[in-house]
Amino acid sequence: MSEEWHQVSMTVDDVPRRARVRARYLLSDFLREQAGAGGVHVACGHGVCGACTVAVDGIAVRACLMLAVQADGAHVQTVASLSALEGAPASGRDGLTPLQAAFREHHALQCGYCTPGLLVSTALFMSQHKAAAALPGNPSPRRAAILDHLNGHLCRCTGYANIIAAIESVLP
Amino acid sequence: MPLMARRLVRPELVIDINRIAGLDAIEVLASHIRMGALVRQEQALRSSVVRECVAGLAEALAWVGNPVVRQRGTVIGNLVANTPGSELPAVAIALGAEFVVRHPDAEVTVPAAALLGVANLFGAGKGLPPEAMVTHVLWPRRPGAAGFYEVARRDGHAPVVSALVTMSNDECRVAVSGVCATGLSCPSMARIIARDFPQPPSASALAGALQDDLTGPVYGDAHSSARYRLDVAPLVSRRAAGLMALRAVA
Repeated sequence: MSEEWHQVSMTVDDVPRRARVRARYLLSDFLREQAGAGGVHVACGHGVCGACTVAVDGIAVRACLMLAVQADGAHVQTVASLSALEGAPASGRDGLTPLQAAFREHHALQCGYCTPGLLVSTALFMSQHKAAAALPGNPSPRRAAILDHLNGHLCRCTGYANIIAAIESVLP
Repeated sequence: MPLMARRLVRPELVIDINRIAGLDAIEVLASHIRMGALVRQEQALRSSVVRECVAGLAEALAWVGNPVVRQRGTVIGNLVANTPGSELPAVAIALGAEFVVRHPDAEVTVPAAALLGVANLFGAGKGLPPEAMVTHVLWPRRPGAAGFYEVARRDGHAPVVSALVTMSNDECRVAVSGVCATGLSCPSMARIIARDFPQPPSASALAGALQDDLTGPVYGDAHSSARYRLDVAPLVSRRAAGLMALRAVA
């Protein structure tokens, strides 16, 4: 399998990218090496830590658990597309999205290595819950839902309390 | 993919089934719910059909992985990986699920227990030939109340021991993972739980019944010894029985 090469093309943060890659080439490697997406952080490399989470056609995916060939033709969004994922413009003097501003306000990061993946999947989590909350009789997500969501992300700095506070502060 | 990323398998050939049309459907048949090989764990977890028709499946799915992993991980992928300790294979065995297996020249339906009762489906000489594919899983329609509980070193990882208890028309079923190398259906424990229902039975009664339900040696690993697994399984089952009873009388 490692000898096989494939032509793949996809849009990464709205830029069309095209490359000839080995069959076993990971999407995370493609994004970092072929698409210049340095915001895709690779930590554990086997789907446990969540640092490399990106949106593939609007679904949160571990980029280290998907082959680049599987994303052929896909629309991939990394943390660089956070504003689009949140559906909210970056604003203010520092050009932060509401989620980024909340992370700063609540000190929800320290070294920042896990942060890009966390921001991407939290943006998708929020949009799912906004859609659900719009239906009658659905309360906004409780703490349990946030904890369930964070279950897929390892952070060795914060102890999570500040991340939870940041996410709670931006939920409707 | 996780097995490849951890260098546990090095397949000669990998076939991506993600773009095969129609495999992502959850269908209601007369006596079964039929799920294709592309039905995601999160999709099954949120399916009202699954919740209404197959007592216990949604309860167990909520403990598998985490929301991001469940959006991409499939129900059948989790089943056929048949990882020791994994929740769903035990659930499939105990609930009497069946697999639809497509061979190049035929399609056969086999009980989940026939494939999942063998440790490691991909092991040499065991399980399916390489040209066969599990295309669907059939879950018998059995509405009712269910309780699930597990002990895990970390949330979202394969548990040390998990237990599902379902009650459907006075028929109790119990699935336990993490005790033997494969998932267990536990009719002896189920009899004790049904006898004492709605009170949860004593852990010692369950421990005695569990001995009759074992299909092989109790395994131990770096996470938990065999002794610990055997000690904790009746307690986990008792808690699952309590949760089931709460929902049954609610």
